[in-house]
Amino acid sequence: MSKNKKPAAPNAAGNPAAAAADAAEEIKKNAQSQFEVADSLLDFEEDDPLSATSVSKKSLVIFFLIDTSGSMKGKKMGELNTVMEELIPEIRRVGEADTEVKIAVLTFGTQVRWMYSEPIPIEDFEWARLRADGVTSMGEAFKELSARMSRNSFLNSPSLSFAPVIFLMTDGYPSDDYKPALADLQQNSWYKFGLKAALGIGNEANDDMLAEFTGTPDTVVHAYSGGQLAQMIKIIAVTSAQIGSKSMTLSDDTNHELTAEEVRAAKQKLLGQQIQDSMTNLGDADAVSFDTGW
Amino acid sequence: MIELSIGQEVEMEYGGKAQVLSVIGSGGQGTVYLVRYNGMKWALKWYDVDKIRNPKAFRKNIQNNISDGPPSNKFLWPKYLTKENADGTFGYLMELKPESFDSFVDILNTYKLTVDPFTGRSSKKPVRFSSLYAMVTAVINIVNAFRQLHRAGKSYQDLNDGGFFINVDTGAVLVCDCDNIAPDGNNFGIGGKPGYMAPEVVRGVAKPNVQTDKYSLAVVLFKLLFRGDPMEGEKVVKDVCLTESSELKHYGQNAVFVYDPEDSSNRPVRGIHDNVIKFWRIYPDYIKDAFVRSFTAGILEPTKRIIENEWQKLFIRLRSEIIQCGCGRTNFCSMFERPDIKTFKCPKCGSLFGSLKFSNRNYRTPLYLGSVFYACEIDPDSEDFQTVAGELVENRLKPGVLGFKNTSELTWRAKMPNGDFYEIPPGKGFPVWQGLQIDFGKVQATL
Repeated sequence: MSKNKKPAAPNAAGNPAAAAADAAEEIKKNAQSQFEVADSLLDFEEDDPLSATSVSKKSLVIFFLIDTSGSMKGKKMGELNTVMEELIPEIRRVGEADTEVKIAVLTFGTQVRWMYSEPIPIEDFEWARLRADGVTSMGEAFKELSARMSRNSFLNSPSLSFAPVIFLMTDGYPSDDYKPALADLQQNSWYKFGLKAALGIGNEANDDMLAEFTGTPDTVVHAYSGGQLAQMIKIIAVTSAQIGSKSMTLSDDTNHELTAEEVRAAKQKLLGQQIQDSMTNLGDADAVSFDTGW
Repeated sequence: MIELSIGQEVEMEYGGKAQVLSVIGSGGQGTVYLVRYNGMKWALKWYDVDKIRNPKAFRKNIQNNISDGPPSNKFLWPKYLTKENADGTFGYLMELKPESFDSFVDILNTYKLTVDPFTGRSSKKPVRFSSLYAMVTAVINIVNAFRQLHRAGKSYQDLNDGGFFINVDTGAVLVCDCDNIAPDGNNFGIGGKPGYMAPEVVRGVAKPNVQTDKYSLAVVLFKLLFRGDPMEGEKVVKDVCLTESSELKHYGQNAVFVYDPEDSSNRPVRGIHDNVIKFWRIYPDYIKDAFVRSFTAGILEPTKRIIENEWQKLFIRLRSEIIQCGCGRTNFCSMFERPDIKTFKCPKCGSLFGSLKFSNRNYRTPLYLGSVFYACEIDPDSEDFQTVAGELVENRLKPGVLGFKNTSELTWRAKMPNGDFYEIPPGKGFPVWQGLQIDFGKVQATL
């Protein structure tokens, strides 16, 4: 039995004198305890079972490496900007309650530049429209990426991380010597475990070179026209964000104890499969080819 | 992936067409659309059949589930199948989630995103349980839903945080994504969501079944109460990057519970797992013990996992041990001081609370103005945890005088101060006094 804010005095309710004494007692005690309450208020909030903060999350950074050389000018850049603007809100919830997804955009023309100085949470990310100009400093971009893909730089989440998603889009061949930079990048552990995909745009882009970057031709696709470009960017970004932001269902299709060797790079393989499946379902775009009509 | 377009019509199996109005969301197996069918709005789940191993068997299973019907009204169950397209794609209709329900994911995030349809800008709206009572009620409802499902001989298979909608004011629960539910022992290719999957499924040596559901249920309950991952602690965080092989290790081959009493290698890390550290202190031992058992012995031995019936009893007890003090502090009675065996004391304001000793419990249940007990608590044969059987109220004519009101359908007997027992028919009440004894029939209680 209890009466709120009153010391237990089972008969007080029926006895006005006792009730008055109770009330006086209560006022006194409240006055006394004001200071104590102020002191310990934090503790009481601290032990409130409802005072939860968001569940602890894993962290995923999605890197977009985007060619902003002069040849991207016009329709390609316009379409890319528009599809990226649309895409970001669509994948906002991809991390669900498990993963905090952040976005980092590195552009390479003559100069290599980050859109923002650090990865931005996807919920707050706003696409800043890109402009194309200059040559294709892809090697420089690889160098910059490798420097930032570090626990001391962009991948500094104190909690557990998923390996990053790295999505390269280009319409040409690097104008610098990219090979040493790529070799260097390939030594970066985050890159090694990361999910890599690349999109070649138009006839100049070289799929073999892109496969060197991704490590497998399965995650390289090629857009020859508008419409295709938008669809492919979406497919790759959505699929890689989905796979990258979640742990992997390792066991579908097996009936034996899995080994670490069997599951190695399972996500990259899954990404390759899903991208290839999506490409076969992709209708032929009826839009004008990228390399005509300029 | 073949998507449906807005305005497109989909033919239903038994005639009529459903017209696509908008996209609700996408998941691993397909997309959910808002559709109109027979003048009503429904949710249409449309499959990406490429991602389903055996679409024919999968469809047949949904058909069976539709004809079996849901185990209870807690399920957003498949209602109608569409016709199968020439390319094998199909979907099913289910009822829409009521507005008043929020997704479990949003509850774990503590907010939901609302997006302005014109600018695309998103804003965050808090999602929190409005009371501790509602939260514990939600737990009881989740446990009960899976008890009903398992009693129907089926397993959910893909139990995870995406599978529930919860009303944060009442604790009402709706189980969604019921399309992988299958008779125990059958599996149509779903492995489950990592983090929720039982270790033997992660390792590849078992397929989802009722036993693996029990593990996943324990994870869901742990996440809801402790707001963290039961297996993610120091040992896992040390890996920095969760690769596929570290996942196999930490969630399969060498999963260690963060509060394993025998193995302290994976304790929660301050700064990362603050929720778990904080809430582990708050819950009473009988709740913590159940989680310890689920995530230690229950890792290797599925039969050691807590069965739903047991969870249900534990959480019905937990619900009865919530004290809502007039000073605003609401917590479990284990977080109140205990000046003597019969009394609980609010550490914040000093208010005292009496307690009842029921003959079928070996612990005392706290009382406060507004506290209630349920049909199942005064009748061992009842499973009804939703009907309030009795409530501690203030006498309307004599303010300050507290008494029990019989809101059950049974006639109770209560001992009055003159020493005699009086019959208390439904709807009547009687004052609380120090020597009070209540005879509910099969259960007795004393103050």
